[in-house]
Amino acid sequence: MVVVSGAAIVVRNLSHRFASRAGTVDVLSGLDLDIEAGAYVALVGASGAGKSTLLSVLGGLEPPQQGSVTVGGADLGTLCRSELATFRRETVGFVFQHFGLLEALTASENIELACSLARLAPRARRQRAADLLAAVGLTDRARHRPVELSGGERQRVAIARALANRPQLVLADEPTGNLDDESTLLVVDLLESLPGEHDCTLVLVTHDHALARRATRRLRLQAGRAVEESP
Amino acid sequence: MTWRDAIGLAVTTVRRRPGRAVLTVLAVTLAAALLTALLTISTTAETRVLDQLSSGGPLAGIKVAAAAPDPGQVDRDNAQPGDPRNLDDAAIAQISDLPDVRDVVPIVSAPMYVITPARDRDNRRIGPFREDIVGVDLTKVNQLPVTVVAGRLPVEGSTSEVAVTQGYLDRLGLQRTDAPLVVGTELQMASPQVVRDVGRDRVRGRWVKVGIVGVVAQEAGNGQILGTTELVNQARDWSRAGVDQSSALELPTSPYTGLFVVARGIDNVSLVRNQITAIGYSTSAPENLVASVRRYLRVVEIVLSAVGIIALVVAALGITNAMLAAVRERRREIGVLKAIGARDRDVYRVFLLEAGTLGFIGGVLGTAVGWAIAGIVGRVVNGYLAQQRLVGVQITLPFAVVVGGIIGSTLLALAAGTLPAVRAARLPAREAVGGG
Repeated sequence: MVVVSGAAIVVRNLSHRFASRAGTVDVLSGLDLDIEAGAYVALVGASGAGKSTLLSVLGGLEPPQQGSVTVGGADLGTLCRSELATFRRETVGFVFQHFGLLEALTASENIELACSLARLAPRARRQRAADLLAAVGLTDRARHRPVELSGGERQRVAIARALANRPQLVLADEPTGNLDDESTLLVVDLLESLPGEHDCTLVLVTHDHALARRATRRLRLQAGRAVEESP
Repeated sequence: MTWRDAIGLAVTTVRRRPGRAVLTVLAVTLAAALLTALLTISTTAETRVLDQLSSGGPLAGIKVAAAAPDPGQVDRDNAQPGDPRNLDDAAIAQISDLPDVRDVVPIVSAPMYVITPARDRDNRRIGPFREDIVGVDLTKVNQLPVTVVAGRLPVEGSTSEVAVTQGYLDRLGLQRTDAPLVVGTELQMASPQVVRDVGRDRVRGRWVKVGIVGVVAQEAGNGQILGTTELVNQARDWSRAGVDQSSALELPTSPYTGLFVVARGIDNVSLVRNQITAIGYSTSAPENLVASVRRYLRVVEIVLSAVGIIALVVAALGITNAMLAAVRERRREIGVLKAIGARDRDVYRVFLLEAGTLGFIGGVLGTAVGWAIAGIVGRVVNGYLAQQRLVGVQITLPFAVVVGGIIGSTLLALAAGTLPAVRAARLPAREAVGGG
């Protein structure tokens, strides 16, 4: 029996462009990409190379403008807004550089919010949030609001929230960009444990070469395409 | 996301970000307070005016006299009665059976000779005087044009308690504001009876002592003393037991001196009056006056409501503006919500409910503040009325105004929050991440 963990990603001929005052900007141009299920992939590239755009498309934050993107068997180009929301809720977990925690909610409530979107019962939500906060070592911070947490703690809460609905794919956009060295190490260790411990594929966007080198695969976005870098 | 979860998230967001919400809530509060205060004051004024018109009785009340109708007076509010006509139990039964009659309260009266212990302004004793005592079924007093000015009404069935009217105060040279002074004093009253004594008629009296327990304004019948039916019937029976039942003492032959008929609603007053006239009795009711005044009061109420509603609409625009600013400010937060799986309608619900929460809080606070303002206005008005030696008004907050104020503010806020909520729902999920 073959055990498949995480979501496999297949991207074919993906093109994406933005309209700006200066004219149209081609961010991605005929990009092809294959990521096997359970992989740990680092995306690197210069600013404006399209890393975040690719992440947005892979995570269903926006549909592909041209080409096809298949994540865990779902062809994202064929999904409507509501189906994309379901895809994001059930398949993807996001970790942002800016943490993306709701300031009005406590750490526990931020995680419970993600569970509530999946219609998890209140008691089950609270238990899931408690388990995840324990997993990231923040049980004692459950009732703290983001403003009362350090940057590293916020990012660990964000990672816990990303795992709330047991995603097959975790997308991290510069997750250590706002952290000090000590917090970076904690967060990186946590992220790197995800494919093994939570059976998911991890795609991480970073400018940090040292961090990128720790990934099992490293892809550089260049001229709108993904180029494999040697380990 | 369920509605319950959306409500929880919206309330939590408003509660934990009070700085953002406070100005918006304040605007709704002020508007709701204005509307509540205006409607409370106008409703109180309307009650006061109509109460004056109906002398404290129901607006659908009709006075029936023990007299035939005068054909020339039938449609008048204060119709003068025609020739006397006995009003008996059979007539009461006939009137009670009319389909649009809700209640019939019989009124009896009897002549009395009264001795008061009070003295006039020059400290001289006031001599005995003759006055009619009016008797009503006090269990139905709320159906009658009787208002307690001071003290209380006599206990049901009592033959030792009476209430007096403004006319009695006038006799003593007292003002209405002096009413409490007579409560607790005693009257000696005699029912007259004519007896034949050695070939000539002589009047003798059956004396009773009664306590004045209250001062009332009453237009149930003609007389300065209000008692129970039992007290008046005893006096009548005594007077009638004499040899002369009508001429010397001018005793009425009718068992009842009048009726107070309550129609089923003010709109049926005219119909019931016509039916009673057809039975053969004279009626009077301030129906034309009441209808006319109500029309004017309705116009005033509409104008005041319009002022309050304009304030609420301005507040609603404030909510829209504040919520649109919130949507602009929270683009990333909305993106994050969508990134973790919120659908467009989830975001719509949360923003709509945030607006509704602001409206609800503003409505509750505004209703409370409006009532307080109406109370203060009421005190000022009562102070003025007291200076004018008039009875004050009691400010009452109509339940409909409370419910309408809170629900109206909430609904208006929901309406005002619709556009911002739609905009929030339409924001792309990509707002969660930066460019690049």
